[in-house]
Amino acid sequence: MGSDNPAEKALILHRTRLSNPNFIFTHFSNSPDTNYSKLKFIISSSVTEACNNSVLLLGPRGCGKAAVLELVLDDLLKEYPDMITTIKLNGLLHSDDKCALKEIARQLCAEHQLSFSKVASFDDNNQFMIDILRECGLAHKTVIFVLDEFDLFAQGKQRLLYSLLDAMQSVSSQAVVVGISCRLDADQLLEKRVRSRFSHRKLLFLPPSAEDLQGLIKHMLLLPTDSSISDDYTTEFNARLLKLLEDGRCKDIIDTLSTSDSTFNHLIRFIAVCHMDMNLGFLTLENFKAALTGVQRQPKLECLKDCSILELYILVCMMRLEFREQESYNFNTMMKEYSSIRDSFKTCDYYARNVCLRAFEHLLQRELISLVDSRGHTQSLEFHPVKLLVSAPELHLGLKSNRCCPAILQKIIDRG
Amino acid sequence: MPTIVDRSLSSAAAEVQPNVNASPQKRMLRSDTAKQSSPMKLKSPRRFMVDSPNSPATRVKTELAEKLTIKTPVKKLSDSFLDKPVWNPTDVNQLSAVKEALHVSTEQPTVVCREDEQKKILEFCKQCVKHEKAGSLYVCGLPGTGKSLSMDKIKGCLIDWTQEEGLQQPDVLTLNCTSLTNTADIFTKILTSCQPQKKTRGPTSPLKQIQNSYSQKQQSPGMRMMLIIADELDYLITKDRSVLHELFLLTTKPFSRCILIGIANAIDLADRFLPKLQSLNCKPMVVTFRAYSKDQIIKIIQQRLKVLPYMVFQPQALEFCARKVASASGDMRKALGICRSAIEILEAEIIETKCDINFSAIDNGFSEQPTAAACEIPKMHENNVVRMDHMAVALSKAYRSPVVETIQSLPQHQQIILCSAVKLFRRGKKDTTIGELNKFYMDVCKSTQIPPIGIVELSSMCRVLSDQGILKLGQSREEKLRRVALKIDEADITFALQGVRYFRNCLQ
Repeated sequence: MGSDNPAEKALILHRTRLSNPNFIFTHFSNSPDTNYSKLKFIISSSVTEACNNSVLLLGPRGCGKAAVLELVLDDLLKEYPDMITTIKLNGLLHSDDKCALKEIARQLCAEHQLSFSKVASFDDNNQFMIDILRECGLAHKTVIFVLDEFDLFAQGKQRLLYSLLDAMQSVSSQAVVVGISCRLDADQLLEKRVRSRFSHRKLLFLPPSAEDLQGLIKHMLLLPTDSSISDDYTTEFNARLLKLLEDGRCKDIIDTLSTSDSTFNHLIRFIAVCHMDMNLGFLTLENFKAALTGVQRQPKLECLKDCSILELYILVCMMRLEFREQESYNFNTMMKEYSSIRDSFKTCDYYARNVCLRAFEHLLQRELISLVDSRGHTQSLEFHPVKLLVSAPELHLGLKSNRCCPAILQKIIDRG
Repeated sequence: MPTIVDRSLSSAAAEVQPNVNASPQKRMLRSDTAKQSSPMKLKSPRRFMVDSPNSPATRVKTELAEKLTIKTPVKKLSDSFLDKPVWNPTDVNQLSAVKEALHVSTEQPTVVCREDEQKKILEFCKQCVKHEKAGSLYVCGLPGTGKSLSMDKIKGCLIDWTQEEGLQQPDVLTLNCTSLTNTADIFTKILTSCQPQKKTRGPTSPLKQIQNSYSQKQQSPGMRMMLIIADELDYLITKDRSVLHELFLLTTKPFSRCILIGIANAIDLADRFLPKLQSLNCKPMVVTFRAYSKDQIIKIIQQRLKVLPYMVFQPQALEFCARKVASASGDMRKALGICRSAIEILEAEIIETKCDINFSAIDNGFSEQPTAAACEIPKMHENNVVRMDHMAVALSKAYRSPVVETIQSLPQHQQIILCSAVKLFRRGKKDTTIGELNKFYMDVCKSTQIPPIGIVELSSMCRVLSDQGILKLGQSREEKLRRVALKIDEADITFALQGVRYFRNCLQ
């Protein structure tokens, strides 16, 4: 129990870090060249100099645009506690102008402890927003509008965007408009009037590069030296982790991880699946390997491992039919293919038609094949067009991993 | 002589930042930059002492400064410019004063470069008020050309003029048509402002009430004229265009008292949407606010900076910015925004050099510190103005698209998908199905020995790419039959992927 305590404490610390969605982005708060510091500079200079500004955050999904903005706003709220009001809108919920103005009015009322009336009309809400902007301008408070899914606000007549950006053209208001979008051409979607009023500032958020990935893993997993965990455990853990990360095989694992999906969430999921062995108390290469296979699961492969030989034959026949570009095929065509294989390759696996039909139904139930359209059940099963739900590489892997797969099948599928 | 200056400036600009494009296209064809040759040769026989390092750009700049002093109109301004002391960007007050002077919302005492248009509109309004006649005017122009700003000034001038002449001051109603929920609400607003005490509700609609009051002879003579300024007039365009027609027809009523000024972007709004007015012979007068030219942009920025007692920009940098903005859109807001971001770039650079100086001073040791600081100070003094390179970076940030960087940072399989899409579309067809794309993708993967992903994963990656605006996906019941097309330029993809040898060979 005593020797487990530091490992358990380390585990709890790691889990706390992983559950906080914004923690991984604090890695970027120190260097001056990152988007975090640029965004902080833009917004804080608008707050201190009392001028209006607008900025657009672009980048693929899962690259931390909303998270970095939240970190920046938290920092600014700590620095200037009374000078900032934040209004958050989302393009999926509030793209209609009436809804959006109502939501703005409601949030402003909540911030300033006024009572919000649900029956206020569009004009009333509009007037209220303009009045509050003017009041905040006089009191030197900045209102920050955060527009999530900015490209959805740019549909239709863009009245909300126009009225927000137009209000920023006057001296009396002090506002910052931050748009978040995953479309790279979001500013081309704006009308020319709105685009003219929108400043051209864009911050591009990119998924982490290979060196960044190393740095991020260290940031998430290295134990801090001033925590309640014992010092020698901490130093040993950190030393082992650093040595592990230098290993070439570990770098290969991380590269494989990022070939299909290199966003931050993917990395977090990978780290979350790394199970540290409690008895040993440190992370090893086997943990990383196990996590990689855990993340890149192939459920169909596990199904294929348990298939019977006849089912494998049926799958191989259908794969051959697909290779021959046959548009649609059904059970009967498949049986013809099966008999032609039997004739050409002289196999001894001969099964009767009704047994094949039973295997066919099994495959349907396990969803390795499926009916092309599920209507028209009046037809009997044999005439129904079907399609394969496993791809060729998956089938190859499945055949290799199946213990009772006859070697002839491998030859057939390689030939075909 | 001027032609040589122009050519050398534009190619110097191209050399300083080869990615900045002079045409208004948002996308730059990166294939063009690869063809650009080494730095150009100077044609002038003069040789200058080059004090700051190397680039032919600085030689061209000093050459240009000499040539600028020969040209007359620009000479006066640039001379007065160069007479002022250089500003100190580390001083917070100066920094905020400069930023405020360049902000779009800062009020200006006069609106320069729009004197002709303002005179025309003011004359029209004066005639209407003097003869107590109604009239309509249509102001058009691209965004950022000073229409609303001029209208504010004209309002003030008109009211002053009526006070001087002793005429009755007209009521002024300014409204922005985007703030109307219903297009017909404009008449309610007009009614409330011209008859504030009367009730606006009643059996007759507001439009009818106004029409009635304008069709009858006035009981009380000397009722005030009303000046209506309707901004963003195209929001009033409905399918049957009735609201717009009725609005302009108000001015044709026999006893009408309104002067209507409409502001919009389209030049031919009156022709396209108000054909009936032509037949009634009451077409509004049209005043066009043309896009700003390079000289006008320079003049406006210099007028804004005149309030500051120090010099902030190098004249060549301002000219560079004005030239680019004038050729792209002539939008003053953009020019002001670019100037402000150039100042921020200078600020960031100064902070960095200060850190470097501190580090180097610590390294050199205390005995050498005074000399190090002393030789840094004159260099900093010269470097405090916003130079061409700051302006070039600001311009490239404003006009470039983030597509190339995003493609370079995509995961490997998505890059392979884009590569196979480019190869597929080179054959002629511009769109295809996901099934076809899958086949090409598998071929490409086979040649690199990378294991391909299945079609289900492929279509979800295509969806991610279409989310970002790189591909365009159609709708279909079957996943395999969804149509796919490229939304970005093929040359951009080729340029972005040229760093990887495999893609370079593949896309040749």
